[in-house]
Amino acid sequence: MIEITGLHKTFNHGRGRNKRVVQAVRGVEFVARDGCITGLLGSNGAGKTTTLRIAAGLITPEQGRVVVDGIDVATYPQQALSRMGVLSDARGLYPRMTARENIVYYGRLHGLSRTAADDRVKDLAYTLDMQPLLDRRTEGFSQGERMKTALARALVHDPPNIVLDEPTNGLDVMATRSLRNALRRLRDEQRKCIIFSTHIMQEVERLCDHVVVVAQGRTVAQGSVAELNARAQQSDFEETFVKLAFKPDDRQPGDRP
Amino acid sequence: MSHPALTVFIKELVDALRDRRTLMVVLISSVAIGPLVLMLVSSLVGGIEKRAEERVLLVQGIEHAPTLRNYLERQTYTITDAPADFEQQLKDNRLGDPVLVVPPNFEADMAAGLVTTVEMVLSSSNQRAQAGSGAVQRLMRGFNQEQAVLRLAVRGVAAAQMEPLRLEERDLADAGARAAQLGTMVPYFVLMAVLYGALNAALDTTAGERERGSLEPLLMNPTARLSLVLGKWGAVVTVAMLIAVLSCLSFLPGQWLIRSESLAAMFRFGLREASYFIVLLFPLACALSALLMAIAIRCKSFKEAQANATVVMLAVSMLPLVTLFNLQGAQAWHLWVPALAQTTLMGRVLKGESLGAGDLLPSFLACLVLGALSLWFVTRTLRAAAVK
Repeated sequence: MIEITGLHKTFNHGRGRNKRVVQAVRGVEFVARDGCITGLLGSNGAGKTTTLRIAAGLITPEQGRVVVDGIDVATYPQQALSRMGVLSDARGLYPRMTARENIVYYGRLHGLSRTAADDRVKDLAYTLDMQPLLDRRTEGFSQGERMKTALARALVHDPPNIVLDEPTNGLDVMATRSLRNALRRLRDEQRKCIIFSTHIMQEVERLCDHVVVVAQGRTVAQGSVAELNARAQQSDFEETFVKLAFKPDDRQPGDRP
Repeated sequence: MSHPALTVFIKELVDALRDRRTLMVVLISSVAIGPLVLMLVSSLVGGIEKRAEERVLLVQGIEHAPTLRNYLERQTYTITDAPADFEQQLKDNRLGDPVLVVPPNFEADMAAGLVTTVEMVLSSSNQRAQAGSGAVQRLMRGFNQEQAVLRLAVRGVAAAQMEPLRLEERDLADAGARAAQLGTMVPYFVLMAVLYGALNAALDTTAGERERGSLEPLLMNPTARLSLVLGKWGAVVTVAMLIAVLSCLSFLPGQWLIRSESLAAMFRFGLREASYFIVLLFPLACALSALLMAIAIRCKSFKEAQANATVVMLAVSMLPLVTLFNLQGAQAWHLWVPALAQTTLMGRVLKGESLGAGDLLPSFLACLVLGALSLWFVTRTLRAAAVK
């Protein structure tokens, strides 16, 4: 379970006259439960990636805290990270190493023995349908193949909590479907707590049990897709999102009310 | 279960060694180039020596100067007629000796006791002909002196009156010290080998990791940042030392190929010198690897890091020059400056001196401080670098 309360984070861009203060996150909060896929839905620049980076302990927030299975990330980052598998926005692989070597390296860093890491690679290759990729160098991998390798790498230590930042970016339909199936299996068979950030409505509708709508760095609404539709009095989830996330003046003219 | 730093070390080392293309370029530029330059210098020196042994003088118009011919032949020189287009040949670097031009009125002027002018033709852009000009000048000076002494003797003046002061040279340098002069380039090449060896690995594990977006996921592992940095640094130092050791060893067979015998006798670089070099270079490899990593971690791309690393490259290649231009001789502070200290000490090893702990300690301490500060900076900056 991941509990996020009252996060605030500002960034300073530029220096001197060009200095700009950007308030990336100002009041994001939600709880992601075990056995549940929680969708973090927001437009570009809403603060999703910053929130997830704070959750992974890469950025220290000015206010608020993130607690993973009862462990405060800011106080015990290493203990918290060993209970999390994070697929971040940056998902670079080592091009001169094979997919297997990339995954085993992270397993070893998580403290797995060589044999335990090898066994996990076998399991993950089956779950993510990537056996033929394992012994190829990742140089020249397609977007989908990279994504699978990065996901396997994030899950190598079998973490109870999984945090995915826009995992379907750049994936084709079949790869997206297979990823969705894999995530459902992880939720149903292993009761993992999964946070999934995206700006694609379809993804959320098809996959998420709980949706957190983030806009301008704040949590503006949360609940299941049906609950949010009811609250916005809309049947189309895209309309619901626009109504919840944007003020009336910001909506594009010509949109349906 | 192994330490995470060891896991990082093994991974980074394997990764660096798989970068075959870069390794080949580094090997060629830092391991092969030294012996190659050594061979080129030796063949140049060998050529000059050979020509000096041949004692051939190119002259135009020797038929006008029987006195000069007589003198030259007594000096066991062989006189050869210069080719007709010698000026063009000298300009084009095709002729390797200066040419002496004798005027038609030489013998008549000589007999009349007038001052005669002979020309020595060479081109200052022609290195080989330039090298031979000293010998020709000495010959002419000898001829001048002989003629002067003869003319004075006719007038009853003692020859010693001509030379109230005589200069004799006494060279204090032994064979080893003379060899060191040639050997100054060996420390320079192995120093650059350390730098080139460390450069790519140091940049790849820091700026490269940022550029390909693998630093952020790496930091999401529950591994202490110091372990990550130590593992990476260890791999960079290993690659740097690998190149340095290969570079040192490459001079061993390199010197067998030296063509000039006198040069080979002067240049003493054996296993003892090579092992001294490796011991001296190790702390420098540690410090430079850490410094390059500290510079590169601030850069978002490999290219930016390369541009920034140029400052280090420049400093390391310029510092040894301090010993070349040293007007005050060897100074105590030289031993405290990384790169300069190693060059100085390697030079002393080549001179055949043995080094004590007192000589090694300053450079070891300086490298330790520089390395530790750099590693501390990398560890501190790592998290901020990952998300920017």
